[in-house]
Amino acid sequence: MTPDSPIKLVSELLDLPLFDMEDKYCGIVDDVELEGGAGKPLKLKALLVGPGAYKGRLPGWAMRLVKLVAGDRVVRVPMDKVRSIKSAVHLNCPGRDLGLDKSEKAAGKWVPRWGAL
Amino acid sequence: MNPLELTLGIMTAVGGFVDISELVFAAKAGSQFGYALIWVFVLSTVGIVVFSEMSGRVAIAARQPVFNLMRHRLGLKLGLVVLAASIVSNLITCAAELGGVALILNYLTGAPYALMAILMTVVLIVSIWVLPFEWIERVYGLLGLFMIVFAVALVAIHPPWDKIAGGFVPHVPHGLSSKELLTFGYFVVAIVSAVMFPYEVYFYSSGGIEEGWKPKDMLTNRITAILGMGLGSLLAIAILSNSAQLFGPANVDPEIPGSAALQAAIPFGKWGLIIALLGMFFAVAGAAVETCLANAYSIAQFFGWSWGRHKQPWEAPRFTLTWIALFAAALAIVLTGVDVMMLVEFAILFSILVLPFTYLPLLLLAGDKQYMGQYANGRLAKGLGWFYFALITLAAVAALPLFIMTSGGNG
Repeated sequence: MTPDSPIKLVSELLDLPLFDMEDKYCGIVDDVELEGGAGKPLKLKALLVGPGAYKGRLPGWAMRLVKLVAGDRVVRVPMDKVRSIKSAVHLNCPGRDLGLDKSEKAAGKWVPRWGAL
Repeated sequence: MNPLELTLGIMTAVGGFVDISELVFAAKAGSQFGYALIWVFVLSTVGIVVFSEMSGRVAIAARQPVFNLMRHRLGLKLGLVVLAASIVSNLITCAAELGGVALILNYLTGAPYALMAILMTVVLIVSIWVLPFEWIERVYGLLGLFMIVFAVALVAIHPPWDKIAGGFVPHVPHGLSSKELLTFGYFVVAIVSAVMFPYEVYFYSSGGIEEGWKPKDMLTNRITAILGMGLGSLLAIAILSNSAQLFGPANVDPEIPGSAALQAAIPFGKWGLIIALLGMFFAVAGAAVETCLANAYSIAQFFGWSWGRHKQPWEAPRFTLTWIALFAAALAIVLTGVDVMMLVEFAILFSILVLPFTYLPLLLLAGDKQYMGQYANGRLAKGLGWFYFALITLAAVAALPLFIMTSGGNG
């Protein structure tokens, strides 16, 4: 399936894993951004990645809990950066170009880079 | 197939079956009801083999960890409920294992329990940090095989093999009072829970991905699940039978984990005791590692973080910080001074309550041809899967009333 094909949002896109062009795991499709309005065709504009995108999908108390564990960052992935959608979403660029590696990098500051075999 | 490939199954089984809960419940079951509960171990073993094989197959066929798929299949809200339930269950279990290891070290060295708990937390964290995944499996899985001393001890004490064989046939002993019947019922539920702990399938399926299993490893998955869990079950049945033979007639209630080690001391003396304690130490330490990693796997997979110990700790930093934080949280629970046996009982109770939530999504995923293609559940896996789902649901419904009515199996 290409990004332009018709798609069932909930069963075929939401909560799918995301890999970049280097086949590096970049996260999960947590929500989507649509373009259009009443009486106009709806178009998928971007994928939203990161727990901040759960807002609207979860009750407030659950969102606060999620924020405590995983933060509330969101990264926007424009649809022109999507190469294919199958059992996973594959991008046509490195995830770092879109800022998908920022949270891991931030956490990486707390993890020393020595001692492991 | 390289025999070392079986270490994932051995570690999952030795650390899953013969963890702190098993040591206590198998020994108590034998002491109170003789050989009458062996069939429950057999029944539950087939269940954990079915679900472990299924989780390994899902990981291989869909090439994604079970928790990723679970979220996609169940949706965010229900997925989050399953995640929260499994975090609590695994954390309590991890604390029970950590307390159990500290207790065993306390028996071995005489050093204070709290100090041993702190020391062991540091040792476990360092071992996961330093060792790659396959070495974590080998160290804890293979050294846990010292537990075989319990099976050797059983042969050495010349038990009544006909009575042991009779225990394999499902039955309820005659002549039990209604109070004893309730306690028997609680033991049935507790054994099902202890054998089918949810963390085992999370650890097993994620472990398969850590090892880079591919479709050609379907057979390895099947053999690993059957042999690994079969070995764990054999050891648990040996502990139960030793207890039935040695503790039951003497009216000894093996209330604390150390009592089980005496089973090897009776036929083999001091060295039997030391080997049994060492086996218990590595098996329970392995279970602590499994529960902690299983929890970190679930959290990382759910939120879409980079995960796995096949990577260096700094290549999956959020996963690394999570398992360290979970060990710290488990240690904090142990240091509150809560009794290890109480932790074991809560771990058993909470696990059985969340078991249906754990296994239903797995069953649905494994039967879904969209994800699984040609590897979707066949008739046998489907039939067994639904049978065990009904069984654990029944056990989950009965668990809380039985726990309250029997004061956690203490009559």
